[in-house]
Amino acid sequence: MGKKTNPMVKATNIHKVFGKGLHVLSGVDIEVNKGETVVILGASGSGKSTFLRCINFLEEPTAGTIEVDNIVINAGERGKQRTEHILGIRKKTGMCFQAFNLFPHMTALENIIEGPITVFGQEKKEAIRYAEELLDWVGLTEKRDEYPSRLSGGQQQRVAIARSLAKKPKVMLFDEPTSALDPELVGEVVDVMERLAEEGMTIIAVTHELHFARDVADRVMIMDGGNWVEEGTPEKIFNNPDHERTRQFLAHIL
Amino acid sequence: MTADINQPEKIGIPKEARTILKRIEADKTIYSRKLMISFFVLAVLMVTSLIVLGLDFKFMLKWLPFIIAGSGYTFLVAFLAISLACVLSVIGALGRLSRNPVINSIATTYVSLIRGTPLLVQVYMWYLALPQIGKALEGYGFTGIQAWFTLPALPAGILALGVCYGAYMTETVRAGIQSINIGQTEAAKAMGMTGFQTMKRVIFPQAIRVIIPPVSNEFIAMIKDSSLVSLMGVWELSYRAIKVGRRHFQSLEMLIMVALIYWAMCILLQYFQEKIEKHMARGDRGI
Ligand SMILES: Nc1ncnc2c1ncn2[C@@H]1O[C@H](COP(=O)(O)OP(=O)(O)OP(=O)(O)O)[C@@H](O)[C@H]1O
Ligand SMILES: [Mg+2]
Repeated sequence: MGKKTNPMVKATNIHKVFGKGLHVLSGVDIEVNKGETVVILGASGSGKSTFLRCINFLEEPTAGTIEVDNIVINAGERGKQRTEHILGIRKKTGMCFQAFNLFPHMTALENIIEGPITVFGQEKKEAIRYAEELLDWVGLTEKRDEYPSRLSGGQQQRVAIARSLAKKPKVMLFDEPTSALDPELVGEVVDVMERLAEEGMTIIAVTHELHFARDVADRVMIMDGGNWVEEGTPEKIFNNPDHERTRQFLAHIL
Repeated sequence: MTADINQPEKIGIPKEARTILKRIEADKTIYSRKLMISFFVLAVLMVTSLIVLGLDFKFMLKWLPFIIAGSGYTFLVAFLAISLACVLSVIGALGRLSRNPVINSIATTYVSLIRGTPLLVQVYMWYLALPQIGKALEGYGFTGIQAWFTLPALPAGILALGVCYGAYMTETVRAGIQSINIGQTEAAKAMGMTGFQTMKRVIFPQAIRVIIPPVSNEFIAMIKDSSLVSLMGVWELSYRAIKVGRRHFQSLEMLIMVALIYWAMCILLQYFQEKIEKHMARGDRGI
C-alpha cells in the first residue's frame, strides 16, 4: 500500500455548546479527501450550519480538532499562533452562504477581487484578470460592473461563488446556497456547483438539492441532534438506508 | 403624476378614479398654496412687529458688516471642531465595540462623562480649569508643563466643542456600524480578512452612508453651539453682537440681527444637507 495522504478536511470530536448549555454538536468527526464532494443532510436545527461554520472558525468549536490542508487547530489553543492558523484555514477555505452576503457597495468584479487584493496582496491587474476568468466561468461576464442589488438571487450567488474561488481555495463550504432562491433560479447555481465538483474541488455542502446530493455527491451524511446518524454513498442512503431516522428524514424531503 | 392623469386612456385608469385623482391633485395644490400664504403672512407679521418695536434699522445696517465678519470665526470653530469630533467619534465607536476591557472602559467613560455634563461647564474646564491642572502637575516636578495646559481661547473652544460632539457622535457611529448585517462580517472573515481589514473595507464604507445624515445634523447644531466660545472672548458672531449691543444700549437690534444671521446660515446648511442626502440616495440605487 502506498503512503496514505492526509485528508483535506478532518474534524475530530467537535463539540459546540452555545451559551451555558445548548449542546448543539456532540463529538462530530469527519474526514473529507481531496476532490471529494460531501453533502450533509439533516432536519432543521440539527446542527449542520454550526458544524460547517466550525470548520472555518466562524463558530468556535467548544472542543475538538479541526484540520484543513495540514493546518491543525485544537479548540483549546490560545494565542497568536492560533489566530494565524485560523486565518490560514480561512485562506484555504471558500464559503458560500444562504444569504449570499455579497458586499453591496462593490460591483460584482470588485467583490471578486477584494479578497485577492486585501487578503493576499495580489496586484490589481492580475486580480482583475483572474476575476474576469471566474465571471466567465459562472456565466456572468456581462454583469461585471453591476452592483449586487441589480442582480437576481441566482446571479448574486454565482458571483458569491466566484468570489470564494478567487483565492483559489482548497475546500469549498456551501451552507444551503439555493434555499433563498426562487425555484427557477436554483438550477443555475447547482449547475455551477456541479461543474466545480467535476473540476475536482473538495466540497462540503449542506443542501437539500436532491439532484446534487444524488448525482454529484460522492458521499451523503445525515446529521441529527448534533451528530451523524448515518453516512454512505448516495445510492445507499437514498435507496437503502440503515437507520429509521434517515428514512423518516428522507420521507420528509423527498 | 400629472401626465398620468392627463393621459388616462393610455394607462387604463377608469373615469371615476380619474375624478378622484384630479381632486387629490387639486387638494394638494390648494394646500401648498395655503401653506405659502401662511408663511408669507408670518413673515410680514414678524417684520411689522420689528417695525412697531421701533428698531433702529440704520444702526443695524451700519454694524452688519462688522458682525458678519465674525461668521468667519464661527465657521472656523465649527469646521475644526466637527473634524475633531469625526475623528474622535470613529475612535470612540471602535472603543465602545472593542472587546479589550481597558479600551472599552475608556471609551464608555468618555461618552458617559461628556454626555453627562453641560457643554458650558466643559468649555470653562478647557479654558479656565486646565491651567490649574497644569500648575498642579508642575508642582509634581513636570516643569514647563503649565504652558502646555494653558490654552488660548480659540483652541480651547475648538477642543471643548470637538470633544463634546465627539462623544455624541460616537454613539451615532457605533449605531451605524452595528446596523450593518452580521452576514457582511462573516463573509469578510470567511474570506480571510483580519478584524481591521473587515472594518476598513467592508463595514465602514457601508456604515458611512448611515452615519452621514446625522453627522450633518450635528454640524448644523455645532454652528449654533460655537457661540459658546464667545464666553472666552473669541470675536465670533454672537460675541460681536453682544458687545456692540451693550455698548450702544441697542441689544435688541444686535441680538435680532445675529439670530437672523445664524438662521440664514442654518437654512443654507440644511439646503446642502438635503443635496448630500439626495446624492447619497441616488448612490443607494446601486446598492
Ligand atoms: N449563535 C447561536 N447562539 C445560540 N444558539 C445557536 C446559535 N447558532 C445556532 N444556534 C442553535 O443551534 C442549533 C443548531 O443550529 P444550526 O443553524 O446549526 O442548525 P441547522 O441544522 O443548520 O438548521 P437549518 O436547517 O434550519 O439551517 C439550533 O437549535 C440553533 O438555535
Ligand atoms: Mg443551517
